[in-house]
Amino acid sequence: MAVRTHYEAAADAEVLLDTRLTAIGTWLFLGAEIFFFAAWWFAFFYLRAINNNQAWKVQGVGPPSKGFGAVVVVLAVLTALSYFVGSRQPSGALLFRLLTPVALVFGIATSLLQGYGMWHLGFGLTQGSYPAVFSGMTGSWVVQFAVATGWLGSIVAQAGPAGDTIARRKPAGSFAWILLFLAAVGIINYILLYLVA
Amino acid sequence: MVVSERRLSIPNNPITGILLAIPGYFAGVWLGTLFGNIDDQNTGVILGYLFATVAFLAGVGFLNYPLERLFGWRVTPVTDPAENRGIGRYLRLSLDHKVIGLQYLVTILLMLLLGGIGAMMIRTSLLVPDASITPAGNYIPLIGLHSVMMIFITSAVIVGPFGNYLVPLMIGARRMAFPRLEALSFWVVPPAAVILAAATFWGGFPTGWTGYPPLSEQAGQGMDSYIVGFTLIAIALVTSGVNMLATIIGLRAPGMTWTRLPIFVWGIFTTSILGLLAAPVLATALVMLAMDRSLNTAFFLASNGGTNYLWENLFWFFGHPEVYIFILPAFGIIMEIVPHFARKPLWGYRTAVVGLFGVALLSWFVWQHHLFVSGIAPVLRPFYMLSTELISIPTGIIFLVTLGTLWRARVWFTVPMLFCLGFLFNFLIGGISGVYLSDVPTDVTLHGSYFSMAHFHYTIMGGEIFALMAAAYYWLPKMTGKMLSPTIGRIHFWTMFIAFNSTFFPLFIIGLLDMPRRVSTYDPALVGLNRWVTVSAYVLFGSMVLFAGNLIYSWFFVSRTAVANPWHARSLEWQVPTPVPARNFDRVPVIVAGPYDYGIPNSRPVADLGGMVGVTGGG
Repeated sequence: MAVRTHYEAAADAEVLLDTRLTAIGTWLFLGAEIFFFAAWWFAFFYLRAINNNQAWKVQGVGPPSKGFGAVVVVLAVLTALSYFVGSRQPSGALLFRLLTPVALVFGIATSLLQGYGMWHLGFGLTQGSYPAVFSGMTGSWVVQFAVATGWLGSIVAQAGPAGDTIARRKPAGSFAWILLFLAAVGIINYILLYLVA
Repeated sequence: MVVSERRLSIPNNPITGILLAIPGYFAGVWLGTLFGNIDDQNTGVILGYLFATVAFLAGVGFLNYPLERLFGWRVTPVTDPAENRGIGRYLRLSLDHKVIGLQYLVTILLMLLLGGIGAMMIRTSLLVPDASITPAGNYIPLIGLHSVMMIFITSAVIVGPFGNYLVPLMIGARRMAFPRLEALSFWVVPPAAVILAAATFWGGFPTGWTGYPPLSEQAGQGMDSYIVGFTLIAIALVTSGVNMLATIIGLRAPGMTWTRLPIFVWGIFTTSILGLLAAPVLATALVMLAMDRSLNTAFFLASNGGTNYLWENLFWFFGHPEVYIFILPAFGIIMEIVPHFARKPLWGYRTAVVGLFGVALLSWFVWQHHLFVSGIAPVLRPFYMLSTELISIPTGIIFLVTLGTLWRARVWFTVPMLFCLGFLFNFLIGGISGVYLSDVPTDVTLHGSYFSMAHFHYTIMGGEIFALMAAAYYWLPKMTGKMLSPTIGRIHFWTMFIAFNSTFFPLFIIGLLDMPRRVSTYDPALVGLNRWVTVSAYVLFGSMVLFAGNLIYSWFFVSRTAVANPWHARSLEWQVPTPVPARNFDRVPVIVAGPYDYGIPNSRPVADLGGMVGVTGGG
């Protein structure tokens, strides 16, 4: 039977502590995120209800292609789900090594497609308050999603035998909740901006 | 994938940061001219500030960790504080909470000096009833710069220096939960201050700290400083909130139960919740304002489907909890210090915690009282009036807890204790005057007057800044290893206390006599009162100079080395040696008793520290 050194035991304890702290930190951060996006949703309902000067959606302004928007949201959900499933596998498992890069590809595709969509809205930003809310809400979301994808890239880059992802595997797992949250926000935004508006 | 042993080899320090920030600014401006509107420069200025900030942070060393991860290199571990010694550690990125606390302290004091000079300029211009000293066009930007700088400062003035330094020591932790986040929360503050000060090059901004549209939409590029500076402060509040809360929840020593948590830590805990949740709402509002100014969207433009009420709601949804972000840690300081010098247990500890949470909770339901005179629907007024008045109950509980602790105590009148008593006096006046402003009829009459100004200065300066001074005299011996001169401290207290009340109490009268705030001219009949206030304000400023003099005198000229526990206090931070060891505790302490068990027969020492100095019993 292998004898664990004091150093190894201390390192394990540190990883356990990191895991707990990262989980706590993630949930706290998501609390802040809820308030960030809730402010956008408030703006959506507020401006839509007030419809000042009848300029919520002026003549000819409507949501961009619903199909395109749905594709972006589906990709975001796939990003989150594939990473979530992968991050729950045992350390070094094939499924983890497979699903994490797949999630990264989905994440990059989501960011690029939404970025492309932002340049081809089909309406001008000055044409009422719906375009303002659409661009602000979607822009804030895609910027955060792109940053999260960058972090996902670093998790993939550190997935080697001596990498940080393997050494601190469980803290990396907490990140899945952030991706799931962003995917959920993407769904809510889609419902509001494409269906309710 | 094989992890490389390579490292980023940029010399990381603020000089590199500044050298990168300058081209970063111009790169942002250039990019803004490519994508922004031709008719203004807002896009360029906003992008310039953002790029400069990111470049500065990169130069300081914040991008090393994410880039090393992204490149697949071996990540730099959190530096062991023991390896990070010497005076240079205060001038570069450090992950030691004690270093960050002192970095905060010096930065905040410098910012306080700037904000104070602004206040003196405002009062000087009010020596005469006309605009002959400061033209109206300069007066309003002066008000804006003073107010926003002071809001920046008061957001961080307790949590930054004292929260960061003391929370791990008080809960028996050897570090913070997220040292990089902690450092980031500090290093975004200097760029925020510089960017705000840069507004003067653009003629300042005309909106005061509230940034109301449509004025903020029409203002010049100085307004962009407001947007970016405030966004950085929002980031600091969120990162600090995550770090503080995770530390308190996850790193308490064994035996440090929730009911043994020092009350100051509870103050930091509740204020961190508010900062964490309120600041993102401000960030959203600022993004909207930036979009309106740079992309011509219409969030706040009524003619194009927007409304300024959206800003007012979002801003005050942040803005009113922000007021409690200032004051909750101040409550924590007062309730922390008083038992040590009253030599009595904190009376009603659990009630005090409930009071802190009560204030924090109710602070979310009061924001529309700021809109009483902005056209709020009349049907909403009673609710917000009552919810605002309701908040005086948990505040009153906190007050009573402190008075109950003092009841029949043999008080040790040290300098920190004097400032605590000064706080109680000032905050009582600030709190009572607040009740008038929560009441709709009186608020409608007084909202735009100096009465309102006197009220919030009584709560913020008379409250938070007096608590800051109490904290400084109480904890700086632990943080710096030097005792401050008690003689100068007493002169400082009495000068500050008398000058403060002499400055701000007459403003209630001036307000009742209808002198409007934010206006550089006034009725000549009020010139006598205004001159009295201005002279008092000069003395008040002089008292702050006295404080700075005490710091310099005690640190550099008279070496009164602080012993480990000069106040014979029970709480954990005083049980470690001075200067505090690099890893705080030789081993994680085991907490066996509460921090306020004074005068209790056979009370146990607060912790088993494994042979460290200074453990104090019930004494």
